[in-house]
Amino acid sequence: MRILYINNDGAGFADYLEIAENTTVEQFFKIKMSGANASDYMIRVNRQPVPKDYILQENDRVTITPTKIEGAVLSS
Amino acid sequence: MKQHKTRIKLANVILLALIEIKKARLKDIQLKLEDIGYRSSEAVKDSHRFAISLGKDWQSAAQQVLDKVSRDMNDFSYHLSRFKEFVSRDTVSIPALPDIVSELHQMELEFEQFRFDLAGKTISVITKPIVLENITFGAFEIQLHLNEFNKLYQNRPYRVIALNPNPAATDEDVTHPHVSHEILCEGDGHTAISKALEQGRICDFFTMVIGVLENYNSASPYVSIDDWERRGCYDCGRTMSSEDSYYCDSCDNDFCDHCSTYCQKCDTTVCLGCSYECPACGQPVCSRCTAKCKDCEEVFCKDCLTDGLCQSCEEQRKEEDEYGEEQESEPLPSVQSDSLG
Repeated sequence: MRILYINNDGAGFADYLEIAENTTVEQFFKIKMSGANASDYMIRVNRQPVPKDYILQENDRVTITPTKIEGAVLSS
Repeated sequence: MKQHKTRIKLANVILLALIEIKKARLKDIQLKLEDIGYRSSEAVKDSHRFAISLGKDWQSAAQQVLDKVSRDMNDFSYHLSRFKEFVSRDTVSIPALPDIVSELHQMELEFEQFRFDLAGKTISVITKPIVLENITFGAFEIQLHLNEFNKLYQNRPYRVIALNPNPAATDEDVTHPHVSHEILCEGDGHTAISKALEQGRICDFFTMVIGVLENYNSASPYVSIDDWERRGCYDCGRTMSSEDSYYCDSCDNDFCDHCSTYCQKCDTTVCLGCSYECPACGQPVCSRCTAKCKDCEEVFCKDCLTDGLCQSCEEQRKEEDEYGEEQESEPLPSVQSDSLG
């Protein structure tokens, strides 16, 4: 099953991915963002916030955006 | 219906701005390519010089060329890796108009205070009041300038404007530990924020900028929160708490205890630059407690002047007066004829 995954963490990433059927948002987050705390991110599917047990569907657009970002003086 | 039409108009403006980003990126690639070409041509010239030096057995000259090549190679590899990184970034695919319209619809749902100005080509989101470690910085307006998208690779096309500013005591242009002159230092968010703009993900852009504003990186702020309310001494620049700062009435600035004193006559705090040391008693005094001596015009504290005269001028006048009186009381010598003593 193919979904569009947009990860705004770090250098960022936006591409289509193949995932297993019946994958929930929570499982997907754990796979892609291992070690990260879900409460530090805004997770949207098709531009809407969804419950963690939402089962991803074909062609869903999943966006993971950090909400805790460290600013700094020395950025390029 | 009218709202939808406006949204489409705005989406069109965004689409044109995204096309400008793509053009800017290509232009930037062209400039970087020209730079790589120039550096390569320098290497060819060095190769030629090296061959000549070797041919004529100029070993010292050959070594000099080699040293230059070594230096240039370090620069070259740095620029090459930056260029490689730049061109290998995701190809910028411009979203379709309906995607941008959906993006705007999402903005309306996610941000309570979202507004735009079609004529000025700006989109703004107003944040909730930002509080970090018990210091309130007030709400900020994140103002995205669509007509500055073409400068994305040189400047940030958005401003972060403090609506109820509580700037750092030492620098009024720093309105947040990571905002100076309305420019946000994105830190860890830099690449992701730029990419969100490149790809027209306006909603992600605003979410991430708010994410930076709502967090504090103590390792690299413009002004640390610990020093936020500390003032800088106007003279030496040392930061000090409000209890340790001294206000000079004469020049209206704050000073540290090393750069201030108090007037020995009226007890007013005064900075070292505005205080005078009375040449007679040697005590520091403020300008209000000084006056010029009527005779010598030197400045003294008022206590060291008597009837407007300093001690030495007063003594001199007394001597002159006494001498004058003596002159008046003594009879004039009789006039003698010439050549008689």
